[in-house]
Amino acid sequence: MNGIHDLGGRHGLGPINPEANEPVFHEPWEGRAFGLFASTFVFAGYTVDEFRHAIENMAPADYLEHSYYEHWMSAFEALLTKRGIVTREELDAKVAQLSREAN
Amino acid sequence: MLLTADLVPVVLATGASARVAAHVAPRFRVGDQVIVKNLQPTTHTRLPGYIRGKKGIVEKDYGVFAFPDTHAHHLGEKPQHCYSVRFTARELWGEQASDRDSLRVDVFDDYMDLR
Amino acid sequence: MQNAHKTLPEPDPAIRVRALESLLVEKGLIDPKALDALVDSYEHKIGPRNGAKVVARAWTDPAYKQRLLEDATAAIKEFGFSGLQGEDMVVVENTPEVHNLTVCTLCSCYPWPTLGLPPVWYKAAPYRARAVSDPRGVLAEFGLELPETTEVRVWDTTAELRYLVLPERPAGTEGLSEAELEELVTRDSMIGVGQPKSP
Repeated sequence: MNGIHDLGGRHGLGPINPEANEPVFHEPWEGRAFGLFASTFVFAGYTVDEFRHAIENMAPADYLEHSYYEHWMSAFEALLTKRGIVTREELDAKVAQLSREAN
Repeated sequence: MLLTADLVPVVLATGASARVAAHVAPRFRVGDQVIVKNLQPTTHTRLPGYIRGKKGIVEKDYGVFAFPDTHAHHLGEKPQHCYSVRFTARELWGEQASDRDSLRVDVFDDYMDLR
Repeated sequence: MQNAHKTLPEPDPAIRVRALESLLVEKGLIDPKALDALVDSYEHKIGPRNGAKVVARAWTDPAYKQRLLEDATAAIKEFGFSGLQGEDMVVVENTPEVHNLTVCTLCSCYPWPTLGLPPVWYKAAPYRARAVSDPRGVLAEFGLELPETTEVRVWDTTAELRYLVLPERPAGTEGLSEAELEELVTRDSMIGVGQPKSP
């Protein structure tokens, strides 16, 4: 698809801004998101290509604004709800519960 | 399958190669002059827009791999050759680009034609 | 096209991840200790020091370098580095005539067994957009300027091959041991946005 991810040659995206001595994961949640890939890949039945395509299907503004592992979360949620492994309602309810507990 | 901690090292060390052990005839040979097809799928592809319609030269045949365009949609592996194709910077980016620099893009058999 | 339009604001990412992880654990589908092990592997065990060993060996052992350039996957596996996102490796050699630069314009493909997980800048839009169309400008941003007589060769990882740059051995390193040479090899020199350190 001619999606927002097809970035080669685009202008106007700004400086590269490499961070010196970057940690592998900037926050613990990034590490958990990373771990979810192998952990779900082995049972959910999606292909790596399908995973990439789920990211390509993100809303374009979200794709550019969200951080890398948030892309992965969008893909996991799309792939796992599509397969009925979790439902959107379950995810929303759990997020609401965890948000209440955090406050 | 439940991925448990004890299985993690072997999963990481083994990985999951996309190579397919199938005998598929390549349509191209090293040295062939090629042109990238004007494919515009709305589905998954690994053909980046910036090489579409551009002319290149086949530099290497990497062998047979699953085809992402179909594999992403569970339409089969459609195994085919994947090639390293050389494009000059000027071919891709115009006359203002370096006349010395070049690119190599990994291009699937289905993405190109002989010119 | 699914997910094309944003509807609700996304929750805090930490909560979003905890929500999915806890649901999957409740359903017995994932083991949180496996996530611990995966995080530990890439935080502490798999990283660019692996690639540095490969490079230092290639600098000191011409027969190894030949094997590396002919069948990178097998040569890298001699060190025990193999597997996920490095199943099909290609090593590209820098020379005075050619400087190689690797990128994945379409996503973030990167040779994990030799370099670990990619840095944020490699996966973000600015690098992915400009590495192919303005490699010299990108290199200048990293403080690397190359002579006009050097060809800059950019490799876009559009398929499942994974690329590692073999940088040139720095001058003045003749007496150094392989372990000392490893210390000079930077991650950025194996991506192509930098050169190894000088002794």
